[in-house]
Amino acid sequence: MTLLLQGLALGVLTGGLYALLASGLSLYFGVMRVVMVAHPAFLFLAAYLTYTVHTTLGVDPFLALPLTVPLFFVLGVAVQRLLIARLAPENLAMMSVLLTFGIALTIEGLLGTFYTGSYKSVSMEYATKSLTIGGVHLPYDKIIAFGVAALTLAVLFAVLIRSRFGQSLRATIQHREAARLVGIHTERVAGYGFGVGLATAAVGGTVLALITPFFPASHWVWIGKLMAIIVVGGLGSVVGAALAAILLGVVEGMVLVTVDATWATMMFYVFLFVALLVRPQGFFGGRLAHRF
Amino acid sequence: MRTVSRGLPLLVAALAIAYPWLVPNYYLVYAGALTVMYAAMSTSWNLLGGFTGYVSLGHSAFFGLGAYGTGLLVVRLDVPWVVALLVSALLVTVFAVGVGIAAVRVRGASFVIVSIALVSMMNLVVQGWRSLTGGSTGLQIPSPFPGLHRGQTHVVFFYLFLALLGLALLTWWYVSRSRFGAGLRAIREDEDKAESLGVPTAAYKVIAFSLSALFVSLAGGLYAVWFGSLDPIFVFSILIGSYMVLMSLLGGVRNLYGPLLGALIVAPAGEYFLIALGETQIHLTATGLVLVLVVLFMPDGILARFTRKRGGPSIPDESADQRLQGVAP
Repeated sequence: MTLLLQGLALGVLTGGLYALLASGLSLYFGVMRVVMVAHPAFLFLAAYLTYTVHTTLGVDPFLALPLTVPLFFVLGVAVQRLLIARLAPENLAMMSVLLTFGIALTIEGLLGTFYTGSYKSVSMEYATKSLTIGGVHLPYDKIIAFGVAALTLAVLFAVLIRSRFGQSLRATIQHREAARLVGIHTERVAGYGFGVGLATAAVGGTVLALITPFFPASHWVWIGKLMAIIVVGGLGSVVGAALAAILLGVVEGMVLVTVDATWATMMFYVFLFVALLVRPQGFFGGRLAHRF
Repeated sequence: MRTVSRGLPLLVAALAIAYPWLVPNYYLVYAGALTVMYAAMSTSWNLLGGFTGYVSLGHSAFFGLGAYGTGLLVVRLDVPWVVALLVSALLVTVFAVGVGIAAVRVRGASFVIVSIALVSMMNLVVQGWRSLTGGSTGLQIPSPFPGLHRGQTHVVFFYLFLALLGLALLTWWYVSRSRFGAGLRAIREDEDKAESLGVPTAAYKVIAFSLSALFVSLAGGLYAVWFGSLDPIFVFSILIGSYMVLMSLLGGVRNLYGPLLGALIVAPAGEYFLIALGETQIHLTATGLVLVLVVLFMPDGILARFTRKRGGPSIPDESADQRLQGVAP
């Protein structure tokens, strides 16, 4: 029973992180109907940058964020405006996957060249301890990860709902032509949408660096996991992705404590295939997805 | 022009057959065999990708399954390697029919996601099932020709891969002239219209998917007995799958010889990178950048530049009047 509670608690904590990591993917899909395969590669780019800042300056990994977040925002705008916007619209879905796949390979190669292929990790003193409540151990690094993810998502939602930019972004997601008719510069907004998406990758990368060792090829595993989350949640729905992230995080945590790590990862693919077979539009909303 | 289009393939075929005797050392035979293997695989990939427009980044799953199927039959059950190769290819094809039925239900981006997920799944299974596959330590397969030294084995497998390439090219050519091929092309142009016109789209897609998996798994099986050692991280790598896509796109997916041309460019370039730069990861960056450039500037491939003026709509956009002007004497 304690074991299951442990799995449940860890699952909720990692699920929160998954929600943050998948939110960027939902944004890209929303604004451009593009599946951005390079998102996890950017996550690990952020993780490596955090590692560099941490080891060369000897400061807390979270102090890398003032550097990486603006950088990734600019990178995101650049990727949308210079690359994805140039693709022919009739075959955008397929070609954008290939394009971002090429970007992912490029980043992986560069990381492998500069940082070598061996494992790197950022470990802080506070990350090694854990909080014990009624026999359930909660590592502090997972709690911090959950907290940062929740905070970032709260900011993201606030921006999306409250700000004028958020309103025009949601309008662009809902109906591009109508948004243009009421005077929204949809091209520019789509660019900023990519920027915001990639900025979440900067935060996610730092958190990831804190809780797990990483190497250049680790992003492939995350492509599968994050894709499963956004498909189960319903492509393009940020809220759906967050709910699916918690659900899959809990499932993963439960399987991890009862069976083993291989099956825990396998659950993501099982859910992906089941979702595509039974309900391709996703389980939590995702009105956009039926066309894909 | 007609003599060129007839004669050139024959000339290339003759050169390919003579290749092992023209080059000065066995390393070049090895590089040649590897190139022909990739050419065979990307031509098989093009059976699905070129006709239907369904881009699979996960064909390395079938490559790896073919390799492990063959290897396990030889090692665990002492089956002769030719039998093992054919049996495993058959099993992989049956498996591909099952996967295909699920995978082709989704279109566009979702299909690509499914194909990537398939590779990751297979990688997990093979690494996790330690007692059967040897897990991440890999699988060792005894050499099929104990009498030959390493270099001579390269020559033998060069011809085996060449035969597979010939078979794949013949299949593509045959399909491209058949009613089946016309149906697949209709799926590429507009799947809903094709279906409403009575093309059995689901069945056609599954057949194309499995046919292409069959040839790729044969290449995987040959690779297993040729190399003699299998590493799950290499054979189930996304990279092999992306090579097939890159080669096909670069050469031109709508042309019989497109993937072959792409393989002749990409595979030797990759080997050259390996020698010039050693075992760094920079070849990934090179592959990625070339893929980005091809997608951005040349999505129809090299051959499309020569064979057609522009890749416009397949139905000419002109009025009946213009049409009449064209045929009037």
